[in-house]
Amino acid sequence: MPIVTIDDRTVEVPAGTNLIEAALEVGVQIPHYCYHPRLSVVGQCRMCMVEIQGMPKLQAACSTQVVKDGMVVRTASPQAAEAQRAIMEFLLINHPLDCPICDQAGECGLQDYSFKHGDSFSRFRFEEKRTYPHKERIPLGPTVLLNMNRCIHCTRCIRFTREVSRTSELSFFERGSHTEIGTVPGHPLDNPLATCVVDLCPVGALTSTRFRFAERVWYLDKKPSICAGCDVGCNVTLEHRRGAIRRYKPRLNPEVNDYWMCDHGRASHERYAELPRLSAPGLRREGTLQATGWRDALDALFQALRAKRADGATAILGSGFLSTEEAYLLRRLAAFVETPHLSFWVDSGAARHIPNPRGGITGHDAAPNRRGAELAGLRPGPGGIDAESLLLEEGAAGCATLFVADSDFGKAAHDPRVVERLRRARFLAVMGWADTPLARAADLVLPVATHAEREGTWINADGRLQRFERAFPAPAQCRPALDVLIDLLARFDPKWASANAAVVFDVMAEEIAALSGLRWAEIPATGAALAAAPAEAGA
Amino acid sequence: MATERVLTRNVGRASARTVRGYRESGGYEALARALKMQPEEIVEEVKKSGLRGRGGAGFPCGAKWSFVPRGAGRPKYIVCNADESEPGTFKDRLLMEHDPHQLIEGCVIAGKAVEANTTYIYIRGEYTQATRVLEEAIRDAYDQGVLGSSVLGSGFRHDVYVHRGAGAYICGEETGLLESLEGRRGQPRVKPPFPAVVGAFGAPTVINNVETLCCVTHILQRGADWFRAIGTDERNTGPKLYAISGHVERPGTYEYPIGVPFQELLDGCGGMYKGRALKAFIPGGASAPMLTAAERGIRMDFDTLAKAGSMLGSAAVIVMDETTCVVRAALRLARFFAHESCGQCTPCREGTNWMRIVLERIECGAGSESDVDLLAHVVPNVGGISLCALGDAAQGPVRSLVQKFGDEIRDNLRNHRYPLPRVPFFDLGAAS
Amino acid sequence: MSGSPAGPSRLPAEVLAGIEALRPRYPTEEALLLPALHLAQAANGGWLSHEVIEAVATLLNLPASSVGGVVSFYDMFHEHPVGRHRVRLCTNLSCQLRGADQLAGLLERELGVGPDEVTPDGRCSWVEFECLGSCDTAPMAMVDDDYHENLTPDRLRQILKGLA
Repeated sequence: MPIVTIDDRTVEVPAGTNLIEAALEVGVQIPHYCYHPRLSVVGQCRMCMVEIQGMPKLQAACSTQVVKDGMVVRTASPQAAEAQRAIMEFLLINHPLDCPICDQAGECGLQDYSFKHGDSFSRFRFEEKRTYPHKERIPLGPTVLLNMNRCIHCTRCIRFTREVSRTSELSFFERGSHTEIGTVPGHPLDNPLATCVVDLCPVGALTSTRFRFAERVWYLDKKPSICAGCDVGCNVTLEHRRGAIRRYKPRLNPEVNDYWMCDHGRASHERYAELPRLSAPGLRREGTLQATGWRDALDALFQALRAKRADGATAILGSGFLSTEEAYLLRRLAAFVETPHLSFWVDSGAARHIPNPRGGITGHDAAPNRRGAELAGLRPGPGGIDAESLLLEEGAAGCATLFVADSDFGKAAHDPRVVERLRRARFLAVMGWADTPLARAADLVLPVATHAEREGTWINADGRLQRFERAFPAPAQCRPALDVLIDLLARFDPKWASANAAVVFDVMAEEIAALSGLRWAEIPATGAALAAAPAEAGA
Repeated sequence: MATERVLTRNVGRASARTVRGYRESGGYEALARALKMQPEEIVEEVKKSGLRGRGGAGFPCGAKWSFVPRGAGRPKYIVCNADESEPGTFKDRLLMEHDPHQLIEGCVIAGKAVEANTTYIYIRGEYTQATRVLEEAIRDAYDQGVLGSSVLGSGFRHDVYVHRGAGAYICGEETGLLESLEGRRGQPRVKPPFPAVVGAFGAPTVINNVETLCCVTHILQRGADWFRAIGTDERNTGPKLYAISGHVERPGTYEYPIGVPFQELLDGCGGMYKGRALKAFIPGGASAPMLTAAERGIRMDFDTLAKAGSMLGSAAVIVMDETTCVVRAALRLARFFAHESCGQCTPCREGTNWMRIVLERIECGAGSESDVDLLAHVVPNVGGISLCALGDAAQGPVRSLVQKFGDEIRDNLRNHRYPLPRVPFFDLGAAS
Repeated sequence: MSGSPAGPSRLPAEVLAGIEALRPRYPTEEALLLPALHLAQAANGGWLSHEVIEAVATLLNLPASSVGGVVSFYDMFHEHPVGRHRVRLCTNLSCQLRGADQLAGLLERELGVGPDEVTPDGRCSWVEFECLGSCDTAPMAMVDDDYHENLTPDRLRQILKGLA
């Protein structure tokens, strides 16, 4: 492989590597706007000009490849620095001073490079800036707004719609300094990945209707997480403030979602704020749910689960939102209680396709972890009542105790007819974060954490196991469901008392063939590909 | 000494627009000869001739052809750049309207040289008359077996198609032209790869100017040595068309051996309009930096003009007399470049507009001396780092304005003389 | 506005035939775009409406945004109605040196409309244009498909009078 020297640092790179990527290998960041690793190279912004020994003119790093040994590059020589300064000057002469009202402030390519490479004064003092009249807030489609005055014409958005989403809604129009981005009538920017252009836009020309004016980015804390909107399992950066998720941005994982995520996923965290939260354990006494403490609540559940068979069945219903570890503990619980009536429910969702370098992933579930629930073994034993029977038939009527381990397991949890059916169980215990009609109908309510407030793993449509971590603590008296289940299991067997997520995972991995060899602390950052279809546990 | 008319020999002979009439003065002999040669031999002959591109860049034609990968059996293209939009240029139009077969012959020879079977003549959309003449000549050529599946019975297939542009100067830039040919906005491509390797429709492509291809015809007819003997030296060879306009008595296209001194060119078209004094002239189209009256003896070839800080370009000579406000002239060219910038790269999109604004300010009387310094500072960054040569071209007139006339402009600014009075060309009081 | 695209059948038959005849010339369908737009514009009174743009896009299997982007790039394609006769007056340097600015003023006075505007009777529209490659016969203008060279104020007036 050829060797290239960049700012006196030498590195070997595959032939054909462009200089921006090669420089990153030695920790040098060549400034750029139009270049993006997943989009065609256009060499338009001219920000990445570097000096190459032996060539009198500066060259664009994005479109210059390392092909053979001996290339010597200077990214910050006086000539290169002057070019970078000049490009910044050119970009800023017509750029509006919108920072105080612009969403992009704090994560803006012009702000950042202006500090590093530009001047602190302007020579464009007497002229009027070029504007695009009446184009300060043009809806390009339902989720993206355009302010054409702020645009730096990098064409990332256009190339995204042509090369990634392949919907081609965006184009350049006009010519010269009047060039603008836009759509044609009847063809708005409306595809499942549309908001990705907002991520790609280095400046505040493209903003998300969902996030516009919502938050100053420097107030946001950031945590790597995973989207719960479907079973693709897009990696996200969960951005939050004061215990509330404010924004998801896609996080690079070439094995799953690459640089992208869909609009449905971006909106999926809003559910946590839209539905009312359960805040304290509750026990029904004399007809009303009254707040109680955790110990009393779990004692009550413990008793109810051990109801004698003569009184009726004990059934457990999980969901596709449970972590793999939580699902595994439910199966352990079913084993302790010796009940075959174990199942879970997942809604089907729209097919959602996310492109990645391997052809992409398509999700079909409305929840992230069907496969984790399957792998953990949430299925009825011989003669067991299954989820359909509980939700759609009379399955609950024969139950002495029904433990629903997710108050928002699907649309059915909000359906009064389903709630009424489930209510036929003599003792209905509901664990969840959402205060749903189902929770309000329960005899026992256990408030737990959302996925932002706990840790765990999910297995996506590709069979990839991914770990998510806690971004902020759960509110009020809510606890992670894993801890609740550990406390419950500890009442059956005290050795569970010292368990935690890592312990549960490692124990689970010993038992389930598809997970063999994995350890909680060693799950790779991009996830672990499980062998083919996850093997059925306990089969 | 009268110059032999080579490129313009058929101007005025309407019969030359037919194959039969064209043949009467030796037409299609060169093609017949080329069809018997090996492709490499044709390339060598053109290389030996020293022919440099007549579209503006002056790149050695034979060298360009030699970059095309050898071998038949895969698509390759000849593209004739008939976009001719450089202000002051009208020589290709003359060649196409009066001697279409001279061009067609050159295209087919080029095709034989690089083993390409298709020529697209990309002609600017406004040249409706030239389009009609070419299409009729092409039909005749097919009828007479000069084009088609077996050119002159040789077994070599060649088709020629006329493809109209739609009004964009940037489509005269090689890769801007290719983008336009392929049905897109004429936005130039990142180079490398160069068109000889990846050109039209992803295939190796030779792009040559009309006049260049017409020269090819004569090189193959009379030989490289004959061509080389014309002109200044072996880097500046062959007959050349000069299109002269502006403040001269007889604007028009004149043929000379390349390297004619400007004064001789000026004398040959009747001298200055109404005998006025020369103030400035542009030697090679709008992109060429201006020269002053003091440089009137300069030889108009590629290297002499380059050494003088200008360029031969398309050899479009625009002459300005003493009544001209050079700022207004440079402003008109700045407006042109700002209008024609494709808009994709930062320095050209923003810089051409900025230069126009500053020149407007000076011209209308609202400018100050610091504006001259501003231009001097901004202009170098418009070229040099732009994606294509339009950025380099755009700074030509402005840079030379500041260099050659900077003192005059500063003096005018200091004395609040702008806007300078316009000397009307037409006397609107009298009937004309 | 309706989102339903115009089908290829919305283009006049002779336009469709003209485009079909050109297909063998090019290895891609996209390369037909500029010729197709010239034909479609000529058959649509000299301009390209949204419907015509959609129809061409559908015919050539191109995104409508691409076709719209191409139309707006080139000076000879018009997205708004033009006059029955279109005057393109060159005002670039060689013509400016020989009185083109005065002729621009004359056009505005004679026609009563500014550049890029159409006379109320729809007869005429005019624009300033860049170099048309006729600098030796400056000043000059292109009227519809023809060059009118060596213009003088009187000649230009005569030409305008002759436009029906």
